[in-house]
Formats: sequence, C-alpha cells, structure tokens
Amino acid sequence: MVSSVKQRGTSSLDLWIRSARLFSGLFLSLFVLTHLANLALGLVSLEAIDAWRGILMAPWRSGAGSLILALAAFIHASIGLYTISKRRSLTLSRVDVVQIILGVLTPPLLITHVLTLRVTSLFVPEFDASYAVILSVYWSLAPAYAFQQLFVVMIVWVHAAIGFYSWIALRPVWPRIRNIVLPILFLVPILALLGFVEAGKEVLYRLENDAAWLDHIRAAQHLYSQAAPTLNAINTNVVASYWILVSIAFLSWAVRIYVGRSRPVRVFYEGDATATGRSGLSLLEISLTSGIPHAHICQGRGRCGTCRVDILRGGQNLTPPTDQEIKTLSQLHVTDTTRLACQARLLQGEVAIARILPAYADISAAQTPEEWEPKDSPSKIDDTLPAPVSSPLQEVTP
Amino acid sequence: MTLALLHRLSEQAHEIGASFGAAPQEWEAVRTAFSAAMMSGDGVRSFTYILLLMMIGAGLEWFYWTYSYASLRVLLNTEPSSPRQSLLFGLRRFWITGFGLLLFAVAAIGSTSAFVWPPGVHDMVVTLTLTLVMFRFIVIVADIVLSPGTPQLRLVPLPDRTAFTSMAAVALFAAVGSVAWFVPALITRIAGTPNLAQALRIGLGTLIAVALLLACLFTRRNREDVLAGRRRGLLPKFPRSLASATVITVVYALWLFGYSAAAVILGALAIVIAVQASLRSVVFYFWRDKILPEEPPHDGRESEEHHDSVQQDLAPSIILPAVRLFVALIGIGVCALAVDVPLTALATSESPLARFSFRLLGVAALALLANVAWITVRTTIDYRLSTIDKVDEHEQPGPGARLLTLLPILRTTAATVITVMLVLSGLWTLGLEITPLLAGAGVVGLAFGFGAQSLVQDVITGIFYLAEDTFRVGEYIESGTSTKGTVERLTLRTVALRHHNGPLHFVPYGTLGTVRNTSRDWVIEKFNLPLPIEVDSEKVRKLIKRVGEEMLNDAELGPLIQQPLKGKLYRVEPGIKIFRCNFRTAPGNQFTVRAAAYKRIEVAMNAAGITYAGNLPLTRTLDPAGP
Ligand code: HEM
Ligand code: FES
Repeated sequence: MVSSVKQRGTSSLDLWIRSARLFSGLFLSLFVLTHLANLALGLVSLEAIDAWRGILMAPWRSGAGSLILALAAFIHASIGLYTISKRRSLTLSRVDVVQIILGVLTPPLLITHVLTLRVTSLFVPEFDASYAVILSVYWSLAPAYAFQQLFVVMIVWVHAAIGFYSWIALRPVWPRIRNIVLPILFLVPILALLGFVEAGKEVLYRLENDAAWLDHIRAAQHLYSQAAPTLNAINTNVVASYWILVSIAFLSWAVRIYVGRSRPVRVFYEGDATATGRSGLSLLEISLTSGIPHAHICQGRGRCGTCRVDILRGGQNLTPPTDQEIKTLSQLHVTDTTRLACQARLLQGEVAIARILPAYADISAAQTPEEWEPKDSPSKIDDTLPAPVSSPLQEVTP
Repeated sequence: MTLALLHRLSEQAHEIGASFGAAPQEWEAVRTAFSAAMMSGDGVRSFTYILLLMMIGAGLEWFYWTYSYASLRVLLNTEPSSPRQSLLFGLRRFWITGFGLLLFAVAAIGSTSAFVWPPGVHDMVVTLTLTLVMFRFIVIVADIVLSPGTPQLRLVPLPDRTAFTSMAAVALFAAVGSVAWFVPALITRIAGTPNLAQALRIGLGTLIAVALLLACLFTRRNREDVLAGRRRGLLPKFPRSLASATVITVVYALWLFGYSAAAVILGALAIVIAVQASLRSVVFYFWRDKILPEEPPHDGRESEEHHDSVQQDLAPSIILPAVRLFVALIGIGVCALAVDVPLTALATSESPLARFSFRLLGVAALALLANVAWITVRTTIDYRLSTIDKVDEHEQPGPGARLLTLLPILRTTAATVITVMLVLSGLWTLGLEITPLLAGAGVVGLAFGFGAQSLVQDVITGIFYLAEDTFRVGEYIESGTSTKGTVERLTLRTVALRHHNGPLHFVPYGTLGTVRNTSRDWVIEKFNLPLPIEVDSEKVRKLIKRVGEEMLNDAELGPLIQQPLKGKLYRVEPGIKIFRCNFRTAPGNQFTVRAAAYKRIEVAMNAAGITYAGNLPLTRTLDPAGP
C-alpha cells in the first residue's frame, strides 16, 4: 500500500513533467515561429525585416519575455535529458530517435547565436543585434556561422514540428485543422530561408556599394569583438557542462538497460504468443522488443490509448496506474481490467494480456476512440486478404 | 598477341599508378577551391538552397506519409495467407514506399530549377540528390525482400539474424555503389580532375570487389557441412562460392584493366546463369504450400497425394519459363548496353559477323518465346486432361469425354503450329527469304489438297463431328455404313469403334454418314409378357404397375430408372393375352433393369397364382377340337 501511494506521488510528478515539457516546447516553438516569420520578411526587403523586428520580436526582448524564454529553454532541455535518462529499453521508434538526436544537438549549435545576440549587449550596451548586422556577418564576414545557423534552424524546426504533430495529431480537432496547419508547418521554414537568401543578396550588394553601411557594420563588429573573449569563455563552459549532462543522461539509460537485464519476466498474449522481457519494462516495450505487433500511436507517451490491453491474470505484478494513464483511460470508458501497455510496467513474474486494438490501428483510433473500428481492416482493403492479425504471429515467440 | 596484351596490361597498370600518384594533389586543390567557394556569399546561398530542396523533398514525402502510413502499417501487421500473398504484399509495400521516394526525388530535383545556382553547383546538387535517391531505392527494395523486422513478409527463406546482417550489408553496398556510380563522373565534370576521379572510381570499385569476395567466402559451406550432407545421402554440390569468387575476381580484373564491356558481359552472364539456376526453387518457393517437398514418398498413398498436389497448381510451371525468358532478355539487354552498340546499328552493321550474331540473338529470343508458349499450352492441356476422370467402359460417358478427345488433338495441333511458326520466323530472322517457301508450301498444299481430297474431307468432317458433339469416347454408335460399336479412340482422321463381339473398326469420318448414337440421354425398353387368356387384364396391369413402383423405390435399381415399369394389354391371340411392358432408363442400363423386372414380375405372378401361358394355347390353336 505504502509503495503504491509512493508510486502515485512520483507519477503525478511525471504527469506534471510531461505537460511542462510540452508547454515549454510549445512556448519555444512560438518564439521560433515569430523569429522565422520575421526572417521571411526578407522576401520583401532588408528594411522590412528590421522594421517588423520591433513588433514581432518585442515581447521576447522585454525583460519578462527573455526570462520566460530562458526558463522555458532550460526546463525543456532539462526535462528532455531527464526523460532520456529514465528510459529503460532500446525500444525507440524512428520518430523517437530523430527527436532525441535533434533535441540533443540543438543547444551546442544554438548557444553561439544566443550568446552573441542576447548576451553581448550585457557587456557592450551600445551593441544592437539588428538583422542587418547579423546578416552581414553571415553572408560576408564569417560565413561559417551561417552554415551552423541554417543547420540549427532546420534541426529546431523539424524537432518542434514532430513534437507538435505527435501531440496535436491525437486530438479530435486535428482532422479539421490539418489542412491549414500542415502547410504552415512546411511553409514557415521555407519562406524563412528564402527570405534569408533575398536579404543576403541585398546585404552583399550594400556591402559592395554603400560605404556608410559598411562603416556601420564595421562599428558593430568592433563592439562585438570587445565582448568576444568573455563570450567565448562562457560558450566553452556552457557547452562543456552540457555535454557532461548529456553523457550522464545516456549513461543512466545504459545502466538501466544493464541492471534490468538479469531479471526476466514473461508476458502471455491472447492467441499463443509469449514474450520474455526484463523486469521493469512496460508491456509495450516487451511487445516491441520481442517483435510482437502492438499498436502504439503516441509512441508510448500514454496519450493515445491505442496500446490498451485487458489484463487476464497477473495484474498484481504490474505497476499501479500513473496519473497519465488514469487520465487517458478515463476518456475511453473501459473496464477495470484495462491498462495502458505503455504505462503498466511488469515488475516480476508473469502476466497474461489481450490486446484490444489491432496493431494497424491508426491515428483516428486515438482521436475518436468510441467510433473507431478497424475501417482500414485488410478485409476491406482487399477481399483476398486474411483476417487481420488480432492474434499475434506464431513464429515470433522467442 | 599475348605480348601485345601484356604490354597493354602493364600500360594500364602504369596509368592507374599515375592517377593514384596525382590524386592527392588534385584532392588538395579541389578541397581548397571548395572551401574558398563555400566561405562566400555564393557558398551560403548554395547551402541555403540545398537545405530548401531537402526540406521541400522531405516535407512532401512526410506529408504523403501522414496519409499513407496507415496502409503500410496494415500491411506490416497482417499475416499473409500464402507465400504468394506475401509477394503481393511486397509489391504493395514497394508501391507505397516507392511513391514516397518518387515524390521526394521529383520535388527535390524539380525545385532545383527554381533557383539560380552559382556555376557548377546545380550539376553537383542534382547528381548528389540522384545518388541519395539511388541509395534509398536499393535500400527500399532490399528492405522489402529481406524484411528484417517482419519475418512473415520476408520474400526469401532466411532466418532473422541473416536477414538483419544481409540488410546491413546491402545498405553498405548501396551506399558505396551509388557513390561510385555518380560521384567520379561528377568530379570530372565540375572539378576537371580526371586523376582524382579515376582514383576514387578504382578505390571504390576495389572496395566493392573485396567486400563481395569476402561475402562469398564467408557464406561458403564448410567441409563439415558437406560431409554431413554426404552422410545424409546428398552429393556434394559444385563449390559455388569458389566459382563466384573466381568470377568476381575475373570481372574485377577485366574492369580494372579497362575491358569494362567484357567485364559487364561476363558479370551479366554469371548473374543470369546463377539466377537461372536458382529460379526454379525461387518460383516454387512461392507455391511451397501447394507443393509438397520433393522427398521420396514412403508409401503409395503418399505418392499419390504428392502427385495430386503437384497437379493442383500449374501456375508455377507456367510462370517459371516466363520468368526465365524475362531474365534472359534482361541479360541480353544488359550485354547490348555494355557493348554500347545500339541494336539497330548492330542489325544494319557492315560486318556480316555482327549481323549474324544479332540475328542469332533474335532466333534465341524467338526460341525462348516459343518455348514459353509451348509450355503454357502443354501444361494447361495436361492439367485439364488430368482433372477429367478416366472414362470407364461400363459407365455412362461423362461430360469430360468430349474434352478427352479434343484436347490431345489440340495439343498436337498447337505443337505443330508453334514449331512451324518458330521455324519460319527463325528462318526469316536469319535473313532467309521465306516468301518462296511459303508460296511453295502453298503450291504443295494445293497439290496435296487435290491428291488427298478424302483425307481432307475426313479431317474436316471429323472436326465437325467433334464440334457438334455427335459422339464421344465411350459411346455406342452405329454409323450409316452400319458399322457399330463403342467409340474407343478418336484421331485426326478416323474413329475407332469396338464392336461388341470384339473387332475394332477404324472408320474414317468421311464415311461415317448418319450416326445413330444409342448412348444419348435415354432409351425406352419394351418387352412382352404372354399370359393365359383367362387372366384378369386389370389385375395384371396393376400387378405390373406395383412391381414398377417397387423397383423405383429400390435403392439399387431406383436411380437407374427414369420412367417406371408399366404394362398393358397389347394383343389378344387365341389362348393368350400378350401384355407389353416398358420403362425408360439412361442408355446402357436397360439390360440390368429388364432382368430385374422379369425376376420381380415372376415372383409377383407366382404370389398371385398367375403363370405364363404355357404350350397349351398353341396346341389349342392347332387342335381346337381337342379334349
Ligand atoms: C534545447 C534543446 C532541446 C532539447 C534537449 C530538446 C529535447 C526534447 C526531447 C527529448 C523531447 C521529447 C521527445 C521524446 O520524448 O520523444 C522534446 C519534445 C519537444 N520539443 Fe524539444 N528539445 C530542445 C529544444 C526545443 C526547441 C528549441 C523547441 C521549439 C522550437 C522544442 C520543441 C519541442 C516540442 C514541441 C516537443 C514535444 C513536446 C512533447 O511531446 O511533450 N524543443 N524535446
Ligand atoms: S502508446 Fe499511446 S497510450 Fe500507450
């Protein structure tokens, strides 16, 4: 009982942590969105960028805005690393891998940019990080930074888009807004990069032909070089500590895999399949590592409910439901014996389960769980197809 | 000759050495030029454009996947009901994933034209994108064939682990291969450094050759296996891995020393041979559920079953030669590409040898085609024949009897037609003028026509007899010339009739005339019952009718009877009443039924106290005044 209450405690924290990651991520995305929209104005003219900068970027440049932004970045990155360190197995979908790699790469790539534009003015108050100056740096003075920055724009946008998509696509509203939102997801970075190129052309032209402009840039460059040593030092320290944290997170992941290795547990599925896993893995993780088809639209984040199973026996060997699980299950009107396979972890012994949705359940199964029936079931796609695998494949039992 | 060859080899080796010697400097020059170009506005612009391309291509593909991934997921999570269906699944997976790749390629490469590139960059970007596309294509195909994660969809008989390692190996080969295919040419084009390109080409080629060799030798069956197989009664097979290693080495050496065309031809030849050798097992692999493994059967029953199941599906036997033909044609095509002489040029080439070899190729293709056609016809006909039950002489000929007569004739005809057509078109392909031949054949045909009028008549009437279904094998017929008997055999010209006394008549169709077929539909059998004049006609009629009903209800006789036995007074003669009985059966059954009817009537009459009319009435007639 005591341990169960304790479980409850940590799982509430878990729920809180997840929404913190989500909302900090969304908040950061909003910032990136305005930033890129601002850049896209380069398609109009260089002046337009800097003119709109006052409006679009102003909220983020105010003291409160900066603080919240920094906090969001900090929270998001920390939680990201924290969830990496809490992973228990190598079951990763392709999307997970992309998310983790891109997420982890972002801070070291982004830090120079942030330091230059936000921190320089702390040391050299006259320095104004206008688009004109930065674009001159990128296009002429130090193109190496441009590559880094372009790269990071892509990384961040893909990471944010995937994160956003995998959250919103489970919502019932998604089918209605997808045709507006998806094009925006594509167009924003494309327009931003096009704006970047057009503004760059203009900058190069001015650097050639406009002496006053050149002087202006040189002055800014000079101001920056005063702060450069300090900034570089900060940069080195931050990046070094960051990599240490990243290593700790991945080490912890490795240790968890290593430790759980020696305590085997077994899962029996409806049909005849059996799978063996390590103690502490979720039922979904055991299915996936054993090659047993198991629907998991939200990649095991406990949001979609497609992984739900009926516990036939051995329920006492599972961890009690987390708050996330209770929340998701309560929207599904299910029986008491139903659990989310991605949340219920098998601590010891054996458990017998029956998967409720077929492995090919798609996103609509999460959006409208009540109405969902396997409408794409193979028998409707093609009469010659056999019955869908609701019972698992025989040969995959290890 | 040999000396010249050796000289050429050493020259080539020299050249290769030289290009490796010059490559580092060229590389250095290219590198500096490249980084200088990158660290400028042009460089930044190109990089941005490249990112844009990738975003447009990948974005579009992703968009496509948000729609179509659901179908792919269904395919990946469904157990195919037969090996053929897994092939079908593989095809569908190919369309679904392939279309994504196509979208990516078209979007990325198409949008390059929307940008203004610094000189040389456009070419580079397109080529590199093509490299990427080629790599992904190979990986997609390999993923479908090997299906490392989904064993139920795997198209080759491999265990999980091997599938994974093969997949990794293929991906590696695909990467190196795509780079080797596109990049050296690109380097020559935009950097103008032939030595560097040459060095890269040879380096990558060597890498691939070495890797292939290693793969060959690793997968070699070791001595132990061979010995174990020997003990189980399997003869050691030809050491394929060594052979393929040799072929790889030779191909590599040919390529290295500049005989690329020869290398490609040899390689293609080796691959075609290898594929042809394994094609049978590959094609039959997809029918493995229909065809029992080819193990020696233990007893008769099993062998019969075996036979049946082989007959069950004739698709593989038809598909196999078709695939063989296809593979051979592809091989020919590749060789033709390798010698880089367009086929049309070969056809009109000055050298008679080239022309002749081209025509020989044509004949070979024709022969293969004819082979496919023949096998298709033959297997189909044999299959149909084997599904028809053999006609039993004592049984009513089934509906298959007609096919049984027609199909063999059809088969012979098809063989003749295919052979004649093959010979004629083969001659024509070889450049022989066949018009006179045809004309001659026409004249000869005419002569034959006159000379063999009755022969022609026989053949043509025969076709009509068969087409009109006048008689079938197993039926009893009487011809206009009053030969009669059971139809035993039908040939192109005659029908063989077995008389019930034994002799076999061969009647040409032409003289068959009116045919009286006594084996069709039904016969009415009649017989007389002479009874004494005193009997009550009505009573007898009822008695016979009752017997008829009993027979109809009899388990054995009932099914044979179409209309039950009835009898009525037919004639009255002095002292006797003659009752005529009749019933209807299918042809051939009347004798059995009649015998049974006699027996039963007699029993019934005995019970009713009626006897047949004896000699009495006759004497009476002779001597009316007698006692
Ligand atoms: C600072 C470095 C960053 C790190 C280390 C990081 C790490 C992560 C991780 C590990 C996840 C969860 C992925 C998963 O569990 O599969 C995630 C999700 C997400 N990230 Fe980031 N991220 C970073 C920056 C950003 C930025 C700059 C944005 C916005 C532009 C962003 C937006 C998102 C969003 C919207 C999600 C989805 C939230 C959710 O599913 O809960 N991230 N991030
Ligand atoms: S996988 Fe989505 S709730 Fe478990």
